[in-house]
Amino acid sequence: MKRFFALLLLATGFAFGQGQAYNPLGLDLSGYWSQFARQQDAGLGTAAGDLGDYGGVPISEAGRLLALAWSASRLTLPQHQCVGYVTPYVFSGPGYFRIWEERDPQTQELIAIKMRPYAAMPDRTIWMDGRPHPPAYALHTWAGFSTGEYEGNILTVYTTHIKRGQFRANGLAQSDEAMVVEHFIRHGDRVTHFSVVTDPIGLDEPYPKTVNLVHVPNDPNSWTMPCDDAEIIPGQAKDRVDHYLWGQHPFLNEFVDKHKIPLLGTLGGPETMYPEFMARLKDAEASDAAAKAKLIPAPGPPQPSRASDADPHDGEIHVIQAQGNVYMLVGDGGNIAVQIGNEGPMVVDSGAGRLSDKVIAAIRTLSNKPIQFVINTSFHPDHTGGNVKLHAAGMDPEANGGNLRTFADAGVGATMMAHLNVLNRMSAAKGNATTAADGWPTDTYTQGRRRKLHNGEAVEIFYQPNATTDGDSIVHFRRSDVIVTGDIFNSSGYPFIDVKNGGSVRGEIAALNNILDKTVSFRQEGGTLIIPGHGRLCNEWEVTEYRDMMVIIRDRVQAMISKGATLQQVLAARVSADYDARFGSNAGPWTTAMFIEAVYTSLKEKS
Amino acid sequence: MRFEIFLLGIVLLGQAPQNRETPKARAPFDMTGYWVSMVTEDWRFRMITPLKGDYLGIPLNDEGRRVANTWDPAKDEAAGEQCRSYGAANVMRVPERLHITWQDEQALKVETDTGMQTRLFQFGVPQGQGGNWQGVSKASWDFDAGFGFAAEQFDRGFPRGRMRGGALKIITTKMKPGYLRKNGVPYSANAVVTEYYDLVVERNGDIYLVVTTTVEDPTYLAQPYMTSTSFRKQADASRWNPTPCTSR
Repeated sequence: MKRFFALLLLATGFAFGQGQAYNPLGLDLSGYWSQFARQQDAGLGTAAGDLGDYGGVPISEAGRLLALAWSASRLTLPQHQCVGYVTPYVFSGPGYFRIWEERDPQTQELIAIKMRPYAAMPDRTIWMDGRPHPPAYALHTWAGFSTGEYEGNILTVYTTHIKRGQFRANGLAQSDEAMVVEHFIRHGDRVTHFSVVTDPIGLDEPYPKTVNLVHVPNDPNSWTMPCDDAEIIPGQAKDRVDHYLWGQHPFLNEFVDKHKIPLLGTLGGPETMYPEFMARLKDAEASDAAAKAKLIPAPGPPQPSRASDADPHDGEIHVIQAQGNVYMLVGDGGNIAVQIGNEGPMVVDSGAGRLSDKVIAAIRTLSNKPIQFVINTSFHPDHTGGNVKLHAAGMDPEANGGNLRTFADAGVGATMMAHLNVLNRMSAAKGNATTAADGWPTDTYTQGRRRKLHNGEAVEIFYQPNATTDGDSIVHFRRSDVIVTGDIFNSSGYPFIDVKNGGSVRGEIAALNNILDKTVSFRQEGGTLIIPGHGRLCNEWEVTEYRDMMVIIRDRVQAMISKGATLQQVLAARVSADYDARFGSNAGPWTTAMFIEAVYTSLKEKS
Repeated sequence: MRFEIFLLGIVLLGQAPQNRETPKARAPFDMTGYWVSMVTEDWRFRMITPLKGDYLGIPLNDEGRRVANTWDPAKDEAAGEQCRSYGAANVMRVPERLHITWQDEQALKVETDTGMQTRLFQFGVPQGQGGNWQGVSKASWDFDAGFGFAAEQFDRGFPRGRMRGGALKIITTKMKPGYLRKNGVPYSANAVVTEYYDLVVERNGDIYLVVTTTVEDPTYLAQPYMTSTSFRKQADASRWNPTPCTSR
């Protein structure tokens, strides 16, 4: 009988062994991992790479020009000191990775694979339960949104919604439009991490790359790296963002000279990935000429944006919670913010007015109380077009009692708030715009800060003089920690600097810095969320990039103005060529040329 | 007792050989065709001949460094050994195109256009004495990755059909001494090269061959030297451009 049970054990044991080998959930990567001895790409040091070392990266013109303008001095700016890492760059670092599984406690089905990189990226979740990726208007993070699936000995991970990060820490940027496919290929205690990045902004071709990881048997206990920004250059002006004008990079030849590499090779591009490129380098004269041409924008029209549109344009209003009591409504022109609570909703901007009934219906799904306040961030019709209907759909109980009852319409309709100049523009007291009187803001302010305590939350409205217009405001919901920026920050395009209506590039940059003065984040993530005038939900990092872009483009235009350049010459120089593929447009109401003209005109008026 | 024998028989039956297919027939993926190397790692070491003494990243021991510092391409040319950096330990790092075919049911042939090298991946007991640039390569299908089961167990009849994927494992020995980098970073005749070939299919239709290489060489390396290289599948031979080895 004992022998019977021994054989039974053998049989069941063998069966169990088979079960482990045939794991329907795939291989298990749980444990500690590290890059293998930094043998491959050792020349990149801590993954930083030398200035001007872009060889083997299929960067686009925009990607190259962005990198050529990058100065390491930019790292002195507070918002740049603790930036996070994105995938696959994070695997190039010298630290460790901890991987573990999250399973349903009852069914033991695999829900997610979790990953803790050594630093600079918060815990990463790879969803294994088949859930869809978020919509285009959702927040981006350093880790992005990842879903995975097993293919034999390979874990394949698809990641979207990644913040703008870096391919290398020498200014070579991976845009926020990048999608990354990663394959974790395990052979015993080694994992080959093979990634393919598709980035319509920064790359001209998919970028395949490998990194070798090795299993680490014991917990390296190295999982945190505190980072707080500090004032590195005392008194540094807020509108100073260090960069190099194209063709004037002082350190570009250091890497070239040190390693005797033709400049053409180091400037990257798809061709540098392929064997044929070796032959191209042999003709030194042609190679040098080709390299020089790559240091400045190619002649021609500006590139239109290749970014995805955050607005689904499906005739529907889409609601996403920003955080706390604040929601973002997408779909009717400019973004709409809605704060809810025990009192009536406070709404920031009313959209273009084409879908106002659906906007009102969407707000009612958030709160059964009538809209109490509508705040306009500017007079532009894509932010005030729904004023009339939203006003009519609301009421203001605070204005409907006491002495105010002497006014027949007290409390009838939502109270419409904005800076006085918004009323002036909408009522044609200033300028030529005419809009229906029912949509005019009636509760106006002229001071720099208007405050309210509403829905149990401190709300601050800050006037931003001469930013996109002369009536811009930003709205800060302090407890929810959400800032609604209006068109001062537009994650989909260049800011609509309406010079004729009081906008200016200096005011725009000042307003962006004012926003950054109010934001708090950890590693440029979390903390204060930003609802832009158009585009997706953001936070401090995206505003930082936008501010940087505005300063850099301003500096380029100013440098040309200082040399007597005409507007046509500035336009021909494609001074925004590194940003056009992300923010530019050659058609529609606000083109790249119109934006550059606004910058030029604005600067000329002051010079 | 008879029941015990019956039970044992069931267990043994599960281990009995069931699969007599050839290596070609058992291939978990098809890696034949034309491939182009994607030179995105170690770019400056691979695309440009590095300067003498630039062996950053390679775990050379003292002797390895000494030999690397004596690199003289003219001497190699005079000796007719321009192919020293095209040997099995480095040939997959050369910017090149591959043409992979089944030579027969038991061996995969890998040809390169740059340097015009030919490697033979032989399943079973490999033939040949080596002593040339490509040495002798023993091939096996490796279905165990990450699971703890060796390929031999699959050969004994483990139901491979239940597994998706798998890798080609190559162990190469008996190579003529050559270079790990074109600038004379050495490997010796004692070197052992272990490679895994994995196939990855992207959603856009791109197919990549990912080669993970570990070189162990007690003569010149202080520890194993590991690299990984990707190749993208090509539609045809239109860019195939055989060129001879060069030493600089």
